[in-house]
Amino acid sequence: MFTTQLLDVVTTAGVLYIVALGLLIVYGVLKIINLAHGAFLAVGAYAGVVTTGLGWNPWTALLLAFVIGVALAALVEWRVLRRLYARPLDTILATWGLNIIVVQLITLYFGREIRFAESAIGRAVSVGGATYSEYRMVLLLLAVILGVAVWLVTQRTQIGIVARAVIMNEELAQALGINTRLVRFMTFCLGAGLAALAGALLTPLISVHPNLGVPWLINAFMLVLVAGVSLANLALAALVLGGAQVLVSSYGNPVLGSLTIVILAVVILRFRTITI
Amino acid sequence: MTAQTLERPALAVEGLEGGYAGSVVLHGVTLDVRPAEIFAILGKNGMGKTTLLKTMMGLLPARRGRVEVLGADVSRWAPYRITRLGVSYVPQEKSIFQDLSVEENLRLALRELSEFAERLDAVARWFPILKSRGRQRAGTLSGGEQKMLLIGRALLTRPRVVLVDEISEGLQPAMVTRLREVLMEERRATGLAIVLVEQNVDFALALADRYAVLKVGAVVETGRTADAGARESVERHLVL
Repeated sequence: MFTTQLLDVVTTAGVLYIVALGLLIVYGVLKIINLAHGAFLAVGAYAGVVTTGLGWNPWTALLLAFVIGVALAALVEWRVLRRLYARPLDTILATWGLNIIVVQLITLYFGREIRFAESAIGRAVSVGGATYSEYRMVLLLLAVILGVAVWLVTQRTQIGIVARAVIMNEELAQALGINTRLVRFMTFCLGAGLAALAGALLTPLISVHPNLGVPWLINAFMLVLVAGVSLANLALAALVLGGAQVLVSSYGNPVLGSLTIVILAVVILRFRTITI
Repeated sequence: MTAQTLERPALAVEGLEGGYAGSVVLHGVTLDVRPAEIFAILGKNGMGKTTLLKTMMGLLPARRGRVEVLGADVSRWAPYRITRLGVSYVPQEKSIFQDLSVEENLRLALRELSEFAERLDAVARWFPILKSRGRQRAGTLSGGEQKMLLIGRALLTRPRVVLVDEISEGLQPAMVTRLREVLMEERRATGLAIVLVEQNVDFALALADRYAVLKVGAVVETGRTADAGARESVERHLVL
């Protein structure tokens, strides 16, 4: 029982980390909260539904989701967002509007009914004497791989240094010859691609419907607010807040559990006196 | 190099108007800087000196007039394109990336990283401390060392024009002398044109060939620093 709950805590943290990673990257570099993040999650989830419907290998959903997410983000950044960066409030409205449009388009095409996608891994494994979902363990591993990969790129490559420079002082980065418009474009595409990828990874765990992204968006948003633009802080926030969610759901009330992250994030933000 | 190329200004500004949203700061500024020339822009606080540099760099929009760099009209260009044309900018404040290392700050300026080792050696010849502290976080450098990093980063790309905003501010005299030596040496070696924005009249007049005095966003006087009475003339504008 204890082992299972411990695994639930860490794998839930892994899932939350994957879901919030794209939002954090976009927030860090572009200084905007992408409220269409949930829509990109839904796009990725429906990529899983489509590959299941076509009888394709479930792993292909990941690639399909990422490509569609990036393509949609490229279009949105090019035609809408780049004109709004100087007006942060308008970017929030625009991305929320995009969220509504995408959800309605999905509804028009797929309908409102709940759908399911096939899992790439349906087996269970024995971990510490407990039988546990191998798929959730793979998600945890993927979260670690994604976290390490993003950390290595930001800390050890020129692209990462450029991205960090834009985060710290965009005007100065421009003056050093950095094409910050291109950096913003690529960052938004990457963030949206990661969101869609997260959506495809989630599909075997959840029921798929057009509005599935909203609760995930809220939780990811709270985690990013608590974490700031630090990958390590995001992992810690996902572990602590996600763990609390699992424990409250298990020992208390599942409805209260679904609110745990929001409540804890508000409490942390209220009492935090220094920026992490 | 043809005679025409030699005569062409490294940087020319004509009838430039610019400023911030809702506020025009520059009123028809006209000046030109030749290759291998050091040009000082002098004036009291709030007269538009920094705004002029930022507008030349494309960081602020030019509402009217032209900015030409090496013969190209860059008035509507994005800053990164102007930089890649051969212009380096040394801003006045908050102009190093504090959380990046010294080496990362330098690497940011280069597009061709294969040249970094060679360029770093050049920087180390000017300022040996920057190479030895390559892995140190730039924010932990002293004020003087940070100015060395700024100048080193600006010269690392071998620019044709460098715009320097108040580099002498708050520095000890020995450091000011060292920065002056480096700029003069680079000008001699590469034909670099330097635009200095300064409040330190001694520093500016000792270094520059020509000057312009900016007052309420307009050029009220230009001249050669070697001319008799140049200092008195400049100081009269700065007092009044």
